Amino acid sequence: MLFPTIDFGIFFLVVFTVSWLLRPHRIAWRWFILAASCVFYGWWDWNYLMLLFLSIGLNWFLGLMIARALSPEGDRTNASRWLVRIAVIANLGILGYFKYFDFFVSTISERLRSIGITVDGPMLNIVLPIGISFFTFQAMSYVIDIGRGQWRKPLNFLDFAVYLSFFAHLVAGPIVRASEFAPQLDETPDPRYVRSGEAFMLIFRGMVKKVVISSYLATQIVDPVFANPDSYGPAAVLLAIYAYAIQIYADFSGYTDIAIGIALLLGIRFPQNFDSPYIALSLQDFWNRWHMTLSRWLRDYLYIPLGGNRGSKSMMYRNLFLVMIIGGLWHGANWTFVVWGALHGGYLIAERVVREKWKGHELGLPQVMVKSMQWFLVFNFVCFAWVFFRAQSIDGAFTLLSRLFASSGSTAGVSLLLVFVIVASVASQFVPQRFPQKAEVWFATWAPALQIAALAGGLVLIDALGPEGIAPFIYFQF
Amino acid sequence: MTAPGRKPSRRRKGWHKLFEPLKPRREGTMSAGMILIVVLLAFGVAVLLNADATLRKSNAKGDGIRNEIARTVASVTDVLQINFFRNSIDSALGKNQGTNIDVEELLRQQAEAESAAAAADAQKVPELAAPTPTEPMKIWVGGDSITQTFGTSFQRITQSTGIFTPTLDFHISTGLARPDYFNWPEHLVKNVFPADPKILVIMFGANDGQNMVDTNNKVLVRFSEPWIVEYRRRVAATMDLLKDPKNQRLTIWCGPPPMGPGTKTQGMDELSYIYWGEAQSRPWIQYFDTWPFFSDSEYMFAGNLPNADGVVRGMRQKDNVHFSTVGGDRMSWAVIDRIGKLVNITAGNVTPPPSQGAPPSLVERSELPPQMAGAE
Repeated sequence: MLFPTIDFGIFFLVVFTVSWLLRPHRIAWRWFILAASCVFYGWWDWNYLMLLFLSIGLNWFLGLMIARALSPEGDRTNASRWLVRIAVIANLGILGYFKYFDFFVSTISERLRSIGITVDGPMLNIVLPIGISFFTFQAMSYVIDIGRGQWRKPLNFLDFAVYLSFFAHLVAGPIVRASEFAPQLDETPDPRYVRSGEAFMLIFRGMVKKVVISSYLATQIVDPVFANPDSYGPAAVLLAIYAYAIQIYADFSGYTDIAIGIALLLGIRFPQNFDSPYIALSLQDFWNRWHMTLSRWLRDYLYIPLGGNRGSKSMMYRNLFLVMIIGGLWHGANWTFVVWGALHGGYLIAERVVREKWKGHELGLPQVMVKSMQWFLVFNFVCFAWVFFRAQSIDGAFTLLSRLFASSGSTAGVSLLLVFVIVASVASQFVPQRFPQKAEVWFATWAPALQIAALAGGLVLIDALGPEGIAPFIYFQF
Repeated sequence: MTAPGRKPSRRRKGWHKLFEPLKPRREGTMSAGMILIVVLLAFGVAVLLNADATLRKSNAKGDGIRNEIARTVASVTDVLQINFFRNSIDSALGKNQGTNIDVEELLRQQAEAESAAAAADAQKVPELAAPTPTEPMKIWVGGDSITQTFGTSFQRITQSTGIFTPTLDFHISTGLARPDYFNWPEHLVKNVFPADPKILVIMFGANDGQNMVDTNNKVLVRFSEPWIVEYRRRVAATMDLLKDPKNQRLTIWCGPPPMGPGTKTQGMDELSYIYWGEAQSRPWIQYFDTWPFFSDSEYMFAGNLPNADGVVRGMRQKDNVHFSTVGGDRMSWAVIDRIGKLVNITAGNVTPPPSQGAPPSLVERSELPPQMAGAE
């Protein structure tokens, strides 16, 4: 079920009403939310509910076993360590089977074919279950946290099932940790004070980003140019690259805005997932602002266990590079994602090296100019890496980049409106947070009739400005 | 206490509250009950204001209870005249001015180029120069989601022949039934022809088994007789559009493969018959019959089939619609073989490995069986 559809609108009206009626009855509320989440997920393919419940059952059971294996003081034991390893391997095994099996088989077959050995490995050719990367990472964070002794009392089965399957974050995040979600299950939010202003604004903003901006950029320039770069000249290619940077931000942050807004209406708060990433002045800053819940996950469950900043610089750089490559591969089974991750890993290392070398040096330029240059470099580095993320193959990415230096080519799709949308989208990220926050508070004081008119008019306008039909969110495939 | 002689002040209740500004005790909040009223009414008003657009989408998707509801809501808004809001926006945006492809206009754009000489020449199958490793031929493969796996295989294999420069251009879309969703003829003219590919391999239509709306805004029920007439017209116009003025472009129009059990796609044999029929009078269009390569001896869907090496492999993805990589490879080699019958491609490595190509005994049908109009 996609968020910006009538189906979801009806679904949510029912869930919202029943949820608040059942909220004082904790057990009934939990069963209801679990059932609603199953309907939401099963809407795509009921068969994959089995997979979701396999993940719920397996991780809940292992979490319980790990907690029991800890010492009475909550310290790790050999048994708990082994159980955590089993849990991680099991989760990665499921993810690997569905997401990476065909990729590895085809890669090996291609390599063998290139040396004259023809071996057709068994391909699964299965459709990737929606949201598998998100709920698998959430489940892993739960069992690892228990193994670290951070959770002394594992969740009961129902709470864990609600946590992992909660429909608002199920298919494309944000990656919410049990420590952020579970305490909210025990609270009884006051139905007189629901944060409607913030929720409505988030949902509305998310829909504009997804349905209008992302769809417009995709159909106007990104899809045609990336599908057929040979036909286009430098202007169209350059705009397509910038447009994709905006498209993926609008698409993904649009989804999380809607998800956070919906959860808020149900009295649940999710962590922030984006914080104006394109205003970043360094790559490190960019990763503190882009897909923040994934960045945190990679830091806490991969970077730090690998050694993090401890040890020599070369070890730290190695850790950074590995984490970014794995982060890239998390997005999909394709070498393009590996290259994207490697580029960001390289950027981050280079940034640290340059910062070390330039420590104490001053350029003698005005601060505004220095910051502008930093912003320009970071934004363009990020856009360059997006080319590999979006291209269908590495060759395709290089073909597209080579067209930046072509002497001719089509300019189809290039328009003033397109340039305006790109510039306005980037510029909007520089608007201080306090302005939308003030607007949220103000909106909540409007007469309900005015709110109804504004929301209804907004929905019609979004539908009119968007394309016919809603394309799936980009991050559903990850 | 009330002052003597004054009526007691009555707190406004009920619907009046809807028009009074809210004074939340906590900033930015509202009660769940009021939120429900706001969301419910906003959603209801939006559904009414948007009724025409919803009906348009519903018409295209097919029949059923949703369409009945959409019709009822749209007729109510017609009476109340409240659909003007959405229709005015559409009009200002130049959107949804009918869902018919303006192929005539596109054809007019090409009219100058299509000289009488070219028209005479175009009565023959295009005679393309033989590609070589030093002068490779531009080949474009495009279509809907089925072309994604087939096209990826085709791109890789044609590249490996050393005599083609392939371009893959798939769009998750319909074929010709919903140009308002994705306009293939327009895309071909604007984005494909400028690159001057000598061979186009087209494969779309698997999603076309849905209702269409004609120029009079009348819903044509899928695979009904009027639907077939209109669809045939669109196919013919698109094929005409593919004609190169100098007759230097060949199009391999691939029919959709048979779909397996459990799929929602219907009428693939009907669509194939239309494509094949229209291609017969247009030498620049060569219809490729997919069915023999992905069905059993009775031309019924077969998910697992032996390749030339005799090993049985899965040709389709689990959805029984899209090709597996193996199926994509098999299809690609079959199309290359077909190209080889029309263009001299012997300078390239165009012999399929037995593990990838179909058994040589499989051949396309010379004639497709006629279909019954209205039969799904």
